[in-house]
Amino acid sequence: MRTYVAKRLAIAGVTLLGMSLLLFVLMRLAPGNITDIIFESAGYVDEADRHRLEAELGIDKPLVVQYGRWLGDLVRGELGKSYRYDLPAWEVIKPRLPVTLELAVLAMGFSVLLGVPFGVISAVRRGRPLDYALRVVSLAGLSMPAFWLAMVIILTLVRSVGWIPSMTYVSPFDDLRANLVQFLLPALAVGYRSSALIMRITRSTMLEVLREDYIRTAWAKGQREALVVWRHALKNASLPVVTLIGIEFAFLIGGLVVTETVFNLPGVARYLVDAIQFRDYPIVQNLAMLIAVVVVLANLAVDVLYTWLDPRIKYGSA
Amino acid sequence: MRQPVPLAAALSLLLALGLVLAPGPGTAQAPRSGGVLVTSPLSATPSLSPHEESTIATVQQASPCFNNLVYYDPMKKVESVDTIIPELAEKWSWQDNYRNLVFFLRKDVKWHDGKPFTSQDVKYTFDMVRGAPDAKARLKVNPRKLWYEAVEAIEAPDAYTVVFRLKHPQPSLLLMLASGYSPVYPAHVPLAEFKNKCIGTGPFKLKDNKPGELVEYVRNPDYFVKGRPYLDGIKFVIIRDRSTQIAALQSGQLDVGGSGWNKTNAENAKNGAPKLTIVEADSNVNDNVLVNFKKAPFNDVRVRRAINLALDRKAYLIGPRQGAATFGGALLPRPAGMWGLPAAEVAKLPGMADPKQQKAEARKLLAEAGFTAANPLKMVVSTRALAIYVDTASWMVDQLEQVGVQATLEQIETGVWHPKMTRLEYQVALNLTGVGIDDPDAQLFENYHCGSQRNFSGYCSEEIDKLMAQQSQTLDRAKRLALVNEIDRKLQADGARPILGWGKQYYVHWPHVKNWAVHENSIYNVSRRQDVWLDK
Repeated sequence: MRTYVAKRLAIAGVTLLGMSLLLFVLMRLAPGNITDIIFESAGYVDEADRHRLEAELGIDKPLVVQYGRWLGDLVRGELGKSYRYDLPAWEVIKPRLPVTLELAVLAMGFSVLLGVPFGVISAVRRGRPLDYALRVVSLAGLSMPAFWLAMVIILTLVRSVGWIPSMTYVSPFDDLRANLVQFLLPALAVGYRSSALIMRITRSTMLEVLREDYIRTAWAKGQREALVVWRHALKNASLPVVTLIGIEFAFLIGGLVVTETVFNLPGVARYLVDAIQFRDYPIVQNLAMLIAVVVVLANLAVDVLYTWLDPRIKYGSA
Repeated sequence: MRQPVPLAAALSLLLALGLVLAPGPGTAQAPRSGGVLVTSPLSATPSLSPHEESTIATVQQASPCFNNLVYYDPMKKVESVDTIIPELAEKWSWQDNYRNLVFFLRKDVKWHDGKPFTSQDVKYTFDMVRGAPDAKARLKVNPRKLWYEAVEAIEAPDAYTVVFRLKHPQPSLLLMLASGYSPVYPAHVPLAEFKNKCIGTGPFKLKDNKPGELVEYVRNPDYFVKGRPYLDGIKFVIIRDRSTQIAALQSGQLDVGGSGWNKTNAENAKNGAPKLTIVEADSNVNDNVLVNFKKAPFNDVRVRRAINLALDRKAYLIGPRQGAATFGGALLPRPAGMWGLPAAEVAKLPGMADPKQQKAEARKLLAEAGFTAANPLKMVVSTRALAIYVDTASWMVDQLEQVGVQATLEQIETGVWHPKMTRLEYQVALNLTGVGIDDPDAQLFENYHCGSQRNFSGYCSEEIDKLMAQQSQTLDRAKRLALVNEIDRKLQADGARPILGWGKQYYVHWPHVKNWAVHENSIYNVSRRQDVWLDK
């Protein structure tokens, strides 16, 4: 297992290196840089001033040098300076991380807490009204984009009760209740789609597992339904579900951009889009790398989890 | 048929959650004076340094921190030389036939860090802005250097007197100094600090600045205007999504909203919360058509005129502007503007007459230029990828197609919009232009002068340049107005940046917000907010 994890970490390193190159090239392919934007939107361009600023930001150097410097800084844990705000990149990113992390964790929590039980119930009650009702709920979740749902939530709340969650961020350390009030609805907006997906996968894999011989044996032995369904069947049906959760967590960031915007949460997802617009390379590159690391680690965690869920899986011998 | 059921169930669940978790209705009543006003500016500000920025967002969020030498009276709706009031200068005087402008400064002013304000601060600021060789600081970006080209020297003969010596008379200098873009900076604070901090003399002191999230001020207890400000603080919350801004206002989280809103946004807000008050005013922001003078066939006057005639202004008013605009030339039309063409002349501008007749004339001109149904004029209409731009540009495409032009719309990302315009990398474009002050010097030199970096159409006329210089030095207001109108007529005849219309601005606030001033002829010079108070 240790060898497997070490191998996966080595592969992850190569993946991240490739990712860094891709990111770097893509950002430079986008037309314009921060000095173009600053000077030309101001309507006054002094070429000497522009060159001075480019030199100050280090974007006057050849691309290879810029890339090498960035990698070197990354290895040393230095993230550079935000071009736009003239602040250390980490100082800009740090306060935004907990916001996105909390939203992502709550959204995943919703997805799993709603998706798995509903999927199991739907499978066990197959063909009954409850199954149909839950399938419609899941279909609706798959059909509604997170941004639309977020907007509907905001508009419905303000029209019906004249209230919406706070537009300024409340830290859980300052006021936990207010923080949860602020985050629950956006988390639900993001998590609903994932929960629908998880519900469908759980239902279909549960249906397969419930037809297995060992389940029939368990029923024949007179075991309680709860034991058969939740302990024997669900554990064996959970491998694809866990895979899906891992993938969904990685893709969550895409949904968060819009949800953070609609609910005005100052997270990294929304900030990433701003940074791209202003060609704030240190922010974009380092944030995107951070997201890449999260994705890689989430996938690794899922693989490791497999061995616990299914002891027959032996990575070391592969 | 069953699909609405889960949606309704989900919404009920959300509502129930909202009801359970929402704070109770009982909020403490604030006193008539005091309280913190919460508003949402146009967007996040890149810095708190108005001298280095060109967005109303910076003016909105930095103005409460600063003072000017002089400022436009917030309570007078139309800005002019007659509405200028003292701020850091107690009084001023033009001398030597408008060659010297002398300011006599207040002696009771302190910076927010407790240091005294003196004439050295004024000299430091405006030497820096005009790019004087011996300036003690240098702006990385200096968007309004042009405004101070006539200034030869700035002298500080004593701690409370400042003299602006001019190369030639320029009455407009006083108006430029009254702009929200002309605050006085402290000489003892490094310029770089204004990226994220603010030390000013203004009515409010910076409490917190979370870039891209919020800017928060508290009352300056040492403010030199006794009894001001009324508010204990102002909080600018950055809300990017327009619908969320409206919802935040309706729910009472904002006291004032509306920066960048159109008429529909304002009406939507009021429909959801009828107690809200809508303030509608003219503004010095126009929708203009950039026709690239450097690219064939747009360098052909017949093609330019045909484009201008094809764009039916009344349809523009009803369509993209939803009834919220006024017509005019290069300068904001009267009565809101001081320098616009008379109404009778505006009514005769291209695009204002019978649309059928004008479109027929446009087709004829295009045919003369060689563009017929068999060989149609093909063009790309570029615009910035923002709703307020795209709506009008889409309408333009439709209008142009009505005269046989094959037009396609190109949306350009905000980040590269200005670079593309500056480099004239477009054929025809729809642009929005806001002018700092309603003054010919600010408007004409920036947008129509040969070689100006914001002359996005590449228009250049020596005759116009000479007239511009002449009007700038004309001291008699009536004579100057006549000259400015003459310039405007020529610009319209040349099809230099045809103006579709001057948009209206909207603010929406709760009735408890008092003295939220709006000016009819500029959005840039009214953000000090020291007179605003909350009646709750």
